[in-house]
This record gives sequence, C-alpha cells and structure tokens, in this order.
Amino acid sequence: MVKNVIHLEDVKRYYLVGDFFVKALDGVSLDIERGEFTAIMGPSGSGKSTMMNLIGCLDTATSGNIFIDGENTAGLNETELAYIRNKKVGFVFQQFNLLGKESALRNVETPLLYAGMKPKERKRKAIEALEKVGLSDRMYHRPNELSGGQKQRVAIARAIVSNPAILLADEPTGALDSKTGSQIMQLFEELNAEGRTVVFVTHDRDLGNRCRRQIHIRDGRIEE
Amino acid sequence: MFWENVKLALSAMKSSKMRTALSLLGIVIGVGAVVAILNLGDSASQNITKSLNAGGTDIITIWTQPDERTEDVFTSEFGNTLKNSVEGIDSVLPQMMSSGAIRSNKKSVGAQIMGTESLYFSAQNLSFDKGRAYTLEQNINNKEVVVIGYNIAQELFENENPIGKRVNFILQSGAVKSYEVVGVLAKKEQSYTMSFDNSVFIPFNTFTTKLVNNDVVSSYVVKTNKNYDTIEVSDNLNRFLDTSVGNDSYQSFSPAMITTMANEVTATLSLFLAAIAGISLLVGGIGIMNIMLVSVAERTKEIGIRKALGASPSVIRGQFIVEAVTLTLLGGFLGIIFGSFISLAVTNLAGWTLTLSYKSFIVAVGFSMFVGIFFGWYPAMTASKLDPIEALNYE
Repeated sequence: MVKNVIHLEDVKRYYLVGDFFVKALDGVSLDIERGEFTAIMGPSGSGKSTMMNLIGCLDTATSGNIFIDGENTAGLNETELAYIRNKKVGFVFQQFNLLGKESALRNVETPLLYAGMKPKERKRKAIEALEKVGLSDRMYHRPNELSGGQKQRVAIARAIVSNPAILLADEPTGALDSKTGSQIMQLFEELNAEGRTVVFVTHDRDLGNRCRRQIHIRDGRIEE
Repeated sequence: MFWENVKLALSAMKSSKMRTALSLLGIVIGVGAVVAILNLGDSASQNITKSLNAGGTDIITIWTQPDERTEDVFTSEFGNTLKNSVEGIDSVLPQMMSSGAIRSNKKSVGAQIMGTESLYFSAQNLSFDKGRAYTLEQNINNKEVVVIGYNIAQELFENENPIGKRVNFILQSGAVKSYEVVGVLAKKEQSYTMSFDNSVFIPFNTFTTKLVNNDVVSSYVVKTNKNYDTIEVSDNLNRFLDTSVGNDSYQSFSPAMITTMANEVTATLSLFLAAIAGISLLVGGIGIMNIMLVSVAERTKEIGIRKALGASPSVIRGQFIVEAVTLTLLGGFLGIIFGSFISLAVTNLAGWTLTLSYKSFIVAVGFSMFVGIFFGWYPAMTASKLDPIEALNYE
C-alpha cells in the first residue's frame, strides 16, 4: 500500500520521433507527500511537462509505475484514466484553458457534471469554489469578459471544486503580469495552507523559491 | 448528461448559424421529399379509390366481345343464366350501347346511348335531378322515352325544364327518331367505368327493337349481394365465363378489383419514390458528417479541456452524437413542414383532398434520427479518440 499521494517508480517515457527514440523521461522515481507544496523546475525540453502529464494521467508511461493517491495507473484504459483525472487531479494551465462559450459558473461545474452530480448540488459546490477564489460576483461572465487574473481564478476554482488529491499547475502565472502572478501564487499558498497538495511546474526561479520543495529536472532525470 | 449534451449542441449550432443552416438544408430537402412523397402517395390512392367507388364497389361490369361463335350467346336471357350459375348476384342487367348525335331546340350534342332496363338506375345508385326513371312497363312496351345525363340536359336545354320535351336521335341511316324525356340524372362524379353525365338512357327493349336492330348485348351490369365479397364473386363469374364462352369473348371490370390494384400500384410507386428521396437523405447525411468533422476539428482544444476535466471517451462520443442527432432532428422537423407544404401545393393543383399521415411523420423523424446516429458516429469516434495532450496543445 502506497501512502504518498504521488509515487513514481523508475518511470520512463520515450517517444518515437522519426527513427529516433526521444527519452523525455528516463527512469524517474519520486515521492510527494500529502500537503506538500512542490515545484518541478527545469529548462524547456527537460521533461517537466512530460512528468506533469504523467502525474495528471493525461499520458501513460512507457515503463514504470505511477501511483496517484494510492492507485497504480499503469495499464489503465482511457475511461479509467478519465475517472482518475476527474476525481483525483485538478489542473491549472498556463493558458487557462477555460471553455470559451460557457460562463465561469458552468466552467467550474464541468468536472462535477462528468462526476455525475445532480444540477442543484453541482451549482452549490461551484459557487462555493468561486467564492473561495474571490470571484462570486463574476460567475455569469464568460471568459472573454474576464481579465487574465480572473480567468486563472476561475480555472483554480474549477481545479478545486471536486476536492481532488492533487492540484497540478503548469506555469500558472506564465501568461500574467508579475503583480497578478504574485496574487495567483498567493492563492496557491493559501490553498496549500488548507492542506491541499500542490504541484507546480515552472521555470521561474523566484516562484520556485516560494515553494517548500523544489525538484529539478534535466534531460529527463531528476537532480534534486 | 443527455440534456447537458442537447444544450451544448444547441449552443454550438447557435454560434455558427449560417453553417448550421446550410448543413441542415440537405436533411430538410431529403426529409421533405420523403414526407411529400408518402403523403402524396396516400392522397393519390385515396383519390383513385374515391373516383372508382363513384361507380359503386358492388358492381361488376362484363363487356362482351362477341365473335361468330358467341354472338348468339350474349342475349338478355344470358343475364339470367349468369345470375343462376354464380352465387352472390342480386341482379344482372343487360345493356346495349351505341353513340350518336342528339338534337333538340336546334342544338346538337354527341352522347353515349345506352339501352338498359329500368332497374339499372337504382343498381348504379344514380339519383335524379328532375323527373324519374322509365318504368318496367315502358320497357316491356317498347315506349319511346329517354333519361338524359346532366351534361346533355345542360347542353340541349340550358335552364329550361326538359321533362316532357322531345329529343331527336339521328341514326346512321339518316333517319330521325323522336323520344320523350322522362328524367334527368343528377350530376355524378366521373367514374372510370363510364361518364353518366354525357349519356342518355332508353329502355332496353326499345333500343333493340326500334333504335338499332341488333340484340347482341354489349355489356352486363352485375350487382352483387352485399353479403358477398365483390372480388370473390367477380372471380367466380370469370371462371364460369371462361368455361362457357371462353376468356377472349369478354372483359370484366369491377371497381373493387381496380381499387385494390390501384392501391397496390400507388403503394409500390410511393415506396419506390420514397427510396429515391432517401438517396437525397443520404446525401444530406454525408453533409452532416462533413459538418460534424469540421466541428470536431474546430473544437479539438475544447475536447482536450473536457478530457482533462475527466470526460471519458464515451462521454465525448455522446456529446457529438447528440449534437449530430439534434442537428438532423431539427432538419427532420423543418423537413416535415416543408414536405407538408409541398403536399398541400400539389394536392391543390391536382384538386385532390390532402391527407397528412402521421405515419410519414414517424418515418421522417425515425429517418433523421438514424441519419444523425449513422453519420455522426464516425466524427464522434474521431473526437473520443483524440489524444488529450495533443488536443490541449492544439491551437
């Protein structure tokens, strides 16, 4: 039984590009405990995005085992992976990735919709999450009526609404000015203080330094 | 989930109205054509039935085609032979037929001249506009009386009352015979057997003895008993005639028979035309498939986001199939309206009564749903199989 919320055992992820294998991750082992605030850092092409995709169950490893909240994801099919993404992982992306035609509220409701929750309860939980990120007065606005910082707050509300085991953020401040970015960072710190596990992918040293733990990746290997 | 998908589909359709309208057009035309053809088929067949029934469905007419061998057989007595030999016959009325010119008030008109018994009018369900039928007595006594059809009365007498007036028959020999009008028939719907409105009727005996010296009956009007099936009686009658006179000496005709046949023909024809209309539905379906593929490609990023949020492949597939079916169902409903209008226009032009069958609506809705599922399947599969990372990074 794996206790840690994230547990990677000798994980390899190779891509076939033309006639060559690209070793995006080349034997990575890693443990992240519940409640940790971890930054995964490294230059572009280092494999940090690959690692985040694997932890987020958007991708599957070529070999090795990945345990998310105690569950081994090796050999799971698309439907089972979708279930884990829905229940255990909350994503925050650099480009926000909100559904453009839906209101902030509907965006936040979407993970609950896929979890099969009833409309009334869905709405209640979504409003709760929006209140937590300080956007309860903007819930019926569409993404194109929101500022960058507000968009990212909606995305964070969406990521926490189903109370997942891991909050996975990929350069969440990368598309924001430094002041707004700092505010978003502060929001993550508050969420972490409530006991949420946050994994933060960034190449920004200042932001990385604000995380309690830093993991450096280079050429598909960890150099902690 | 299902209603969420319908909502999503509607909002997707709203956001690209022009494209939606154009891709719907194929379905609208296809479904419209199917609905129009099925309804017009029904209307046509009911129209045919109606005009055939105008002659009475319980009547069988046997037209004689006498040759040297059989010309002595077709007498008025032969009618009784038929009645006694075949079950289910109420009466058999022999008729003589000729055509010629009739004159009165210096006006002249061509008419079909029938020599027939007085019972003929009630057997054919004919009613009188003025006067009455000649009597049995007038028939037996070779009286020179005549019943005229509605159109003949109009042509010769216009607004005058023809009863008691005389009309003149001009014979081929040039001789003229003058008969007294005793009745005018009420206007009758055109029947496929004959035009009563353009005929004149004189007693059978008068016809054979005074007008034309010929006693070979030209047709027998057989009225069947209402407890018997006309088609069955007709079959038995034909069998009897085949053995007694041979099948090339007569032709029998019954509206009931023709009605059945005509209905079969229109049903087959409708089915055939509907199949052709189905092809346009197929083309419409390909249009839907095309638009759905475009929609999937355009929304790759959205699909990636939904997958990241936990949408399983079957959920994504469902979303796009529901979208396709919503699209085709909308097309189907518009098609029903379109097809009904076409049916209305055509039946108005043809002077038929329109019958809109709910059957055609069910077929239309069923077809459009089927087209949606069938042609939405492949794009939906494409969407559900997208790689989440590639889809998320799609710009």
